[in-house]
Amino acid sequence: MLVVENTKCECGHQNAIGTVLCENCGKPLEHNEVSDLPLEMRYDGVARRSQKSNPNYIDRIWNFFSSVKIAIYLIVLTFLTAMLGTIYPQENTFINNFDPSVYYEQTYGLPGKLYYLLGLSHTYETWWFIGLLVMIGTSLVICSLDRVLPLYRALSKQQIRKHLQFIHRQKTVYKQTIALDEEKWVQEFGTQLKRKGYRIHRDGSALLAEKNRFSRWGPYINHIGLILFLLAILARSIPSWQMDSYITIPDGDTIQIADTNYFVKNEKFTVEFYTDDELPEQLKGTARAKLFETKAVLYECVSNCSDQTRKPELVEVKRHNIIVNEPLTYKGLKLYQFDFDTTPRLNAVHPILVDKKTGEKYGPFDLPMKDSALQHKLGPYTLDLYANYMEFAIGDNGEPTTLSRDPIAPAFVFTVKGPGLEPEGEPYMYFPMQKDKVKFSQDVINHAVADKIEIRVDGMENVDFSEASTYLNVRMDRALPYVWVGAAFSMIGLLMGSYWQHRRIWLRIDEGELSLGAHTNKNWYGMRSEVAGALQKIGITVDPKSLDNGGNNA
Amino acid sequence: MGKSRKTVQIVILLAVLIIGGYAIGSTLFAADNKGPLKEGDKPPAFELLDLEGNARQLSDYEGKAVVVNFWGTFCPPCVKEMPEFERQYAKWKDQGLVILAINLSEDTLTVNNFVRRFDLNYPILRDVNRKTERSYGLKSYPTTFFINPDGTLMEIKVGGMTEVEIDERIERLLKL
Repeated sequence: MLVVENTKCECGHQNAIGTVLCENCGKPLEHNEVSDLPLEMRYDGVARRSQKSNPNYIDRIWNFFSSVKIAIYLIVLTFLTAMLGTIYPQENTFINNFDPSVYYEQTYGLPGKLYYLLGLSHTYETWWFIGLLVMIGTSLVICSLDRVLPLYRALSKQQIRKHLQFIHRQKTVYKQTIALDEEKWVQEFGTQLKRKGYRIHRDGSALLAEKNRFSRWGPYINHIGLILFLLAILARSIPSWQMDSYITIPDGDTIQIADTNYFVKNEKFTVEFYTDDELPEQLKGTARAKLFETKAVLYECVSNCSDQTRKPELVEVKRHNIIVNEPLTYKGLKLYQFDFDTTPRLNAVHPILVDKKTGEKYGPFDLPMKDSALQHKLGPYTLDLYANYMEFAIGDNGEPTTLSRDPIAPAFVFTVKGPGLEPEGEPYMYFPMQKDKVKFSQDVINHAVADKIEIRVDGMENVDFSEASTYLNVRMDRALPYVWVGAAFSMIGLLMGSYWQHRRIWLRIDEGELSLGAHTNKNWYGMRSEVAGALQKIGITVDPKSLDNGGNNA
Repeated sequence: MGKSRKTVQIVILLAVLIIGGYAIGSTLFAADNKGPLKEGDKPPAFELLDLEGNARQLSDYEGKAVVVNFWGTFCPPCVKEMPEFERQYAKWKDQGLVILAINLSEDTLTVNNFVRRFDLNYPILRDVNRKTERSYGLKSYPTTFFINPDGTLMEIKVGGMTEVEIDERIERLLKL
């Protein structure tokens, strides 16, 4: 059964369902009891947009999100669930080969296991948390839209002459009998209000004075900012919008940043420590870093980027000395100094070959630790690289082997041909590092050949090594500018709504009887003193307190 | 007025559905792709050079049973496994078995000497700068991935295997 509510006001205006105060004359549309308590002025008494007598299912969804009560529940629920994510460290705070299925149980026992199984180890990326954010966003849009449009309409076509009940039931009210000319009185009072920054609208002996209406739009601008903010956060899940990874680059190496077209070269990493003279007493003798710096070059790959058979063609796009808090930035990509490792790494040596009989020296030749040329010609000698080992050792079966793939104890086996040597060549084992030469007794291994020739490095200038490796943090966050714009809107809206008050004064004089009502959305104290001040100017002295008509927050 | 209001409602609710659906959907999707590889996952794609300099991709072997083994000359159990894989390859290659042995970013001479020594006939691929190794989340060597013909992982075996163990897994892989 359908009951059609009568929403027609006595002034003849047909109001929408849910209207509290007649949109035209302001008369309260109360049906049950006649009260003289201050009026509920929220949204100027207009109906919310979605209030309908017979909602269909779309309206029902809409009404759900349109409810401020629901919005508050959603926000509280989000806060509470966000707290769960702070119990144990989140998965994304760990770097490198991290297995959450093992970590949480091992570190925290059963609670940790449950935490992981419930998906709380990545709370902020769970479907339900994102779902809550989406619902808050929806609620923001719908709540705002449902209220701002009717409010805008109500405020842009305000009736100047309001119903007496409307005026008398404001929180700030003044009644007086006027002996003077009504029109003239209104004129003078209007002039006084104008001085206080009010806009004056007159209709005979009725007046509407209004100021700072724009502050009413503050909350909605704030909401637009919040929606932008939320959208920006959600946009982070778009591929390539966000990246947070780590790379290790030894001095002199060029390494591709995974999943991008960029390569980074570490030309030189420097770490400086404070000397004891520079440190306070209690810190003397400790290693306190003064500077970490990576001389970095960023390259962009222009062709052969995914072709494994050819070398990628790189173009330098940016050069920057990365220090802490001064990342290399290029088109949203940021490379931060993160850590370092000062374990040196041998890259290459430039040894010479000495003919022990004549004392003649040949070379130097280039011998990189990795992927060296297989043949080196030195004067009358030919060196064929036969085998190489990164970390030389003798295996269980007595054969030479390598213990790792890093040049920790490199060894090279050459077949050497030349004057005084067997025509088919003689093997020569070469250890570039002095410690290995001694440890593995190079001369004993080479026995006879060791008397004829020697391969050695003359001076440190012929040793090429990386002193350190730099660890860089690679970050990309394309959503950040939008986050800032959202935050700026939000702040502007907040300021608009907080630092200004929308104040209105209605008055009408009916046969010498002045009725004045005033409304503000906050700071009633200021409202009353403003009214009292204006009355004072035209010769009526009232105590601001006496204007108080009761009601909350008055 | 009523009509445009309805349109606005529908447009906004649709936008919510699309944006929200995408956001929620991508978290569900990301959850599957996160963390270390598990049985049933699709292993990461790669394109690597073999010893002859030809580029080979994992996707070249779609529809076939593939064994991907990561090895290095510096890892004794890997060295022990290589000739065993060679025998298994000879045994099963007519049934369509593919073995891809990915070297752990060692240098050319080292790999060539090794392959020559053991006379290996299955493709040896060369990882560069540990890229593929990282994408497979390797922690220790050797690690062997058994990939079903449908492209999903049947098993990840960390550590060395005896020849019987290899044989048994290949049989399962080939569904014999």
